[in-house]
Amino acid sequence: MKEAIMTRRVVIIGANAAGMEAASAARKKDRTAEITLITQEKTPGYSRCGLPFVIGGQIPSFKDLIVYPPAYFKMLKLNLKTETKATTIDTKGKLVTVINKNGAKESLPYDSLIIATGADAFMPSIKGREKQGILSLRNIEDGEEILEKVQNGAKSAVIMGAGLIGLETGVAFIERGLKVTLVEMLPQILPAMLDADMAKLVQEHLQEKGMDILTEKPVEEFLGDEKVTAIIAGGEKIEADLFLSAFGVRANTKLAIDAGIPLGESRAIKTNSKMETDVPDVYAVGDCAEAPNLITHKAVCAQLGTIAVRHGKVAGANAAGSYSQLPGVLGSAVTRLFDIEAGVTGLTEVVAKRAGIEVVKGAISSKTKADYYPGALPIKVKLIVEKESQRIIGAQIVGGEEVTQRINALSFAIQKNMTVRELAKADTAYAPPLNETWDPMVLAAEMILMRLR
Amino acid sequence: MVKVENYEVPENLYYSNDFAWIKVEGEKVRMGITDYAQKQLREIVYAELPDSGTELTQNEPYGTLESVKAVSDLVAAVSGTIEEVNTEVQTQPELLNEDPYIKGWLVVVKPANLKAELSNLMDFDKAVEWHKNQGK
Repeated sequence: MKEAIMTRRVVIIGANAAGMEAASAARKKDRTAEITLITQEKTPGYSRCGLPFVIGGQIPSFKDLIVYPPAYFKMLKLNLKTETKATTIDTKGKLVTVINKNGAKESLPYDSLIIATGADAFMPSIKGREKQGILSLRNIEDGEEILEKVQNGAKSAVIMGAGLIGLETGVAFIERGLKVTLVEMLPQILPAMLDADMAKLVQEHLQEKGMDILTEKPVEEFLGDEKVTAIIAGGEKIEADLFLSAFGVRANTKLAIDAGIPLGESRAIKTNSKMETDVPDVYAVGDCAEAPNLITHKAVCAQLGTIAVRHGKVAGANAAGSYSQLPGVLGSAVTRLFDIEAGVTGLTEVVAKRAGIEVVKGAISSKTKADYYPGALPIKVKLIVEKESQRIIGAQIVGGEEVTQRINALSFAIQKNMTVRELAKADTAYAPPLNETWDPMVLAAEMILMRLR
Repeated sequence: MVKVENYEVPENLYYSNDFAWIKVEGEKVRMGITDYAQKQLREIVYAELPDSGTELTQNEPYGTLESVKAVSDLVAAVSGTIEEVNTEVQTQPELLNEDPYIKGWLVVVKPANLKAELSNLMDFDKAVEWHKNQGK
């Protein structure tokens, strides 16, 4: 057969974290494949996770979030169709139909298709939600709109939802001088990330910095004529200049559903460990796809940038005829809010119990340097262990610094099936300006061992 | 040498759209990749280069560079015959990251049609403008 006939065609719907990683991995495995990325956005290849920090002013411009400039597409010979929407997938004929902003339609044949359609901001069915002025922060255009409002004199903001985006944007608003009220339906902030005891530490810090946090206040109504001027949450009326909806995101699965590509139990696109969907030669990656949790082995759609790129790398290699597997995900995540860092890996206590796992927990409050060393900051480590196997299955850390690499260490421990007994004897590093002699991770393990006696 | 954004652009070279530089050395031409290219690729782990005697055609690929992050064709900035290959970058590809314009040269070519082909390349002034429009 002639080489020209054998050129593999890889089509990727989506050109951010997961899609770009998939394209790079596909190119590494197949130097001649025709790789095409389709995105509805104007700008491809930027970091969504950085959006709140442009609003906060730490990053000077939204342009700085671009991870993959046009030169990268040229160097890797990646075709790119921006402001183009994939409208249908014909999985039998192996065709994707797309339409660009001028209304021109095109059919793109594929040998391998990677769906990286991401997730959309979720808006619950709240009375008055059709009114104008309810903002969300999902892409650069959203960010530009919010920043413009902030710079044009908005004095106050209501943030609806106490997840990572809500809190990080709330911090950004306060740094820009706005008065921020945050409303959350549940009794705690960061409900998907931390247990209530750890979330409380973060909440207290945010309140000290001036954020007004109202928990157990579901949003009941948007008030205003055409434009929202206030909300009612938990029976209370709150007025503001700016309203940010941060209720969470939902996997964007319509294209897949219409094409008969099945969803899994997490309501994201069902995939196996090669990131293949149930349809041959169709892969799904990123916020629209699921992967098994390494501890429960149940499929989850964790919607983190770290997971998106891992999905993408595996799918890209497989789509280009190579072989790669993703064993699963833990959902390790960190954030910084003003002067406090919070992190998680594995299961929280709540999630573990919901999964029917009998747990023993331990939590140690310590310092980030020797107690006597000037500038030592508080840090609290919470460990969660499965009682029967004594394996570490989760950890949360809240502290003034040095949270991320401890979360990473505990993530490795979980992935290597480390027991709490092994962690209690683990070797750690110390010097007065850098750590305590007994790292709080090790002491938390010691506490659990005592409780297991 | 000037720096555009964070990228070095030396004065005495010609540049192609495909991130290559050439230096005219009498009858011969030395060729490599730009500082911009190496910074896009990040840590280069593998340089696949042809042997001496290979014929190059302007704008056609003649090798590849692979980094942890990416892989990219090397595209010839001029046509000609390879007279010398930098075997040091094959054993120490990090030279491409550390010193793309001096120790990280790739091949020396006996050009076939240099005068005409130079008009397809950018001189220093044009290259500075081009770098400004590349994005980080």
